[in-house]
Amino acid sequence: MSRIELASVSKTYDNGVAALKPVTLDIAAGSFVVLLGPSGAGKSTLLRTLNGLETPTSGEVRIDGEVLCRANLRAMRARIGMVFQQFNLVGRLNVMTNVLCGTLGKRSSLGSLFFLMRRADLELGHAVLARVGLTDKAWERADRLSGGQQQRVGVGRALAQEPAVLLADEPVSSLDPATSREIMDLISDIRRRDGITTIVSLHQVELARRYAERVIGLNDGNVVFDGPVGDLSDDVLRRIYGNGGHSGDVADA
Amino acid sequence: MAGTVAMWPTRSGWPPAGALAAGAAILALLAVAAPAAEFDPVRVIDSLGAMADFAGHLLVAPDWSYLPDLATKMLETLAMAFLATVIAAVLSLPLGILAARNATPHVAISHLTRQLLSVMRALPELMWALVFVSAVGLGPLPGVMALAFVATGFLGKFFAETIEAVDTGPVEGVAAHGAGWLQVRRYAILPQVAPDFIGIVLYILDHNLRAATVLGLVGAGGIGYDMVMSMRLFQYDRIGLIALAIYVAVTVLDRASDQLRRRVI
Amino acid sequence: MTLPPLPKKPFNPTPVWVALVAALFYVVAVELDVGFGELAWGARDMVEFMSRFSSPDFSDIGRYARLMGETLAIGLWGTALAVVIGMLAAPFAARNLSPSPVVYRVTREVLNLVRAMPDLLLALIFVAAIGLGPLPGVLALGLHTGAFLGKFYAECLERVDRGTYEAVRASGANFLQVTVWAGWPSILQELVSYAIYVLDRNVRMAVVLGLVGAGGVGIALTTTLRLFEYNRASALILVVLATILAIDYLSAWLRAKVR
Repeated sequence: MSRIELASVSKTYDNGVAALKPVTLDIAAGSFVVLLGPSGAGKSTLLRTLNGLETPTSGEVRIDGEVLCRANLRAMRARIGMVFQQFNLVGRLNVMTNVLCGTLGKRSSLGSLFFLMRRADLELGHAVLARVGLTDKAWERADRLSGGQQQRVGVGRALAQEPAVLLADEPVSSLDPATSREIMDLISDIRRRDGITTIVSLHQVELARRYAERVIGLNDGNVVFDGPVGDLSDDVLRRIYGNGGHSGDVADA
Repeated sequence: MAGTVAMWPTRSGWPPAGALAAGAAILALLAVAAPAAEFDPVRVIDSLGAMADFAGHLLVAPDWSYLPDLATKMLETLAMAFLATVIAAVLSLPLGILAARNATPHVAISHLTRQLLSVMRALPELMWALVFVSAVGLGPLPGVMALAFVATGFLGKFFAETIEAVDTGPVEGVAAHGAGWLQVRRYAILPQVAPDFIGIVLYILDHNLRAATVLGLVGAGGIGYDMVMSMRLFQYDRIGLIALAIYVAVTVLDRASDQLRRRVI
Repeated sequence: MTLPPLPKKPFNPTPVWVALVAALFYVVAVELDVGFGELAWGARDMVEFMSRFSSPDFSDIGRYARLMGETLAIGLWGTALAVVIGMLAAPFAARNLSPSPVVYRVTREVLNLVRAMPDLLLALIFVAAIGLGPLPGVLALGLHTGAFLGKFYAECLERVDRGTYEAVRASGANFLQVTVWAGWPSILQELVSYAIYVLDRNVRMAVVLGLVGAGGVGIALTTTLRLFEYNRASALILVVLATILAIDYLSAWLRAKVR
């Protein structure tokens, strides 16, 4: 359970778009943080700098005091699990294999190139599948599952890394409300039992209210709010969703 | 091995049955074929030495005096490819119509034509070139004939398939106004297949250039003869130039036809 | 009553193109002194020539079958080599997988270079370097079609949704692991399909390569024609034809099965 620090991290893309203005944050080990904001606010960008999927234009990211850079990228990534909006599974492979992708960071062996897995890893996979409730689908092709089930596999894959940090980039935006709550329950439960530092980006205010401890509100690349979820007043929401925010997101509140 | 230390992520612990079966079949086939193909690792390693030796020889000053002759031969090669492609394009139109089930006068004709086209494209151009050289003598003519022959087989089949995939609406529309057999094909079918056809003709042109470079081997014109002779006579100062010329010609034509394809389609 | 004038007819380039091609055709044909005239007059001679092939002599069928088998073996091994080369090169030539943009560019250019060389030229080089026999043929086919597969597999790998690669990468997997776990499984169908296409093509080419001493039926064909043994030649041609058609059907069937 790792502590994450961002020191003046900013990201400007090659086409000139300043997706993230310099941000300094300190996220305590084991906390549950929700990044809230409208589309294009920079939530995804911020999240992706934490595991190196985006390289900051300035500033540095530190995990347990160690700076994230090219040299230690792989080792760091192995400790950081990520759940994606589009699930990003390998459709043709079965559920168990998709989950076992999570162990690749720890196993650079030749065997992994031939899909040979250690017994210990398979047992880990089995345990993970039980936790996400997909034991009976272990050998099915991932692309035959429903959206909610596929996301469970995504969560499972992250769990298989036995991570110190869990990142979730709009994990429920492609799911219906009932399934969304199931997935958020799952993530919340994992965090409660394992104490993993969890950062989830959402645009649905209602879900933020239900699950977050701390909310960081973003608008147009800037942090406009940072505090406990209890302080999420209508005023604050207006600040977050003010210019160019989707009125639909505010209606969620 | 399954179940002890390492296993595969499947229900049984082994790789999927289909994959295992296919893999075994392929390996068996390769094992049977190995002596015939003389693919033995020792020989391959040895040959690498010979290869390096050969490559060393190539690093000599090129024979610049050969350049004009080379250019002529390359142009001849290009010309052969061009002529053959045009002939094939023209011949494949009626053959394609005859072979297409929805445009042919009678279904038996379509079957027959399809078989004919199949045979035409089955054998490699060089083989036909060999035969045609025996018939009409040396020079670019048998080369053009061979290229055109095979290309017609290919284009004819492609054309037939494109016609069969055509939208029937316009065809019925034109026919309903009392258009004759030929007119239906000209006004309703042809316009629909034209863009695809041009694309494939360009592809055939590219292919024919590559094929034309070797026909000289059997005396059917083009750079092929020089290529073989310079190898046999160990004229290292020419081999490099020839290989380079072929590479340049093929690449230039590739890019040009890409451009053309983008404009026209 | 006068009618309103019609709008100006849009310029239709087609007749111009056709005329240009026709003109070019005429010029080139004359330049090349390609005797189409002779061909037309010689049509009857051609028919007579073709009739010499009409009674195939299968007396040596055993030898022909063996030679055909050798040709098939060359095609098979050439394809196996090509698949190995293609699969090794492709991840480096795929923009979204390649470890660095430099490696990507270099691999692509090398693949293009090798692809542009006609296999026959490569076979000639290998025969000169290694000697006669099937091995130079196998190597020539393997290299040339290996470069082809390398390019096409790379393009298939590039078409895979980038999220799939990202997710596996984000778990800490290295370049090879991402390729094997996220790359190849996602394009399995194209992988097999292209390999079968190459097999089909390589068997044909193996026939041709025999003509430069790289093993197989090619030499027998040249010899029979040079000795005017047309009946034996036609038997050989039929053997080759039958084999190639069989492979064609087989490959079409296999490709349909891999849907």
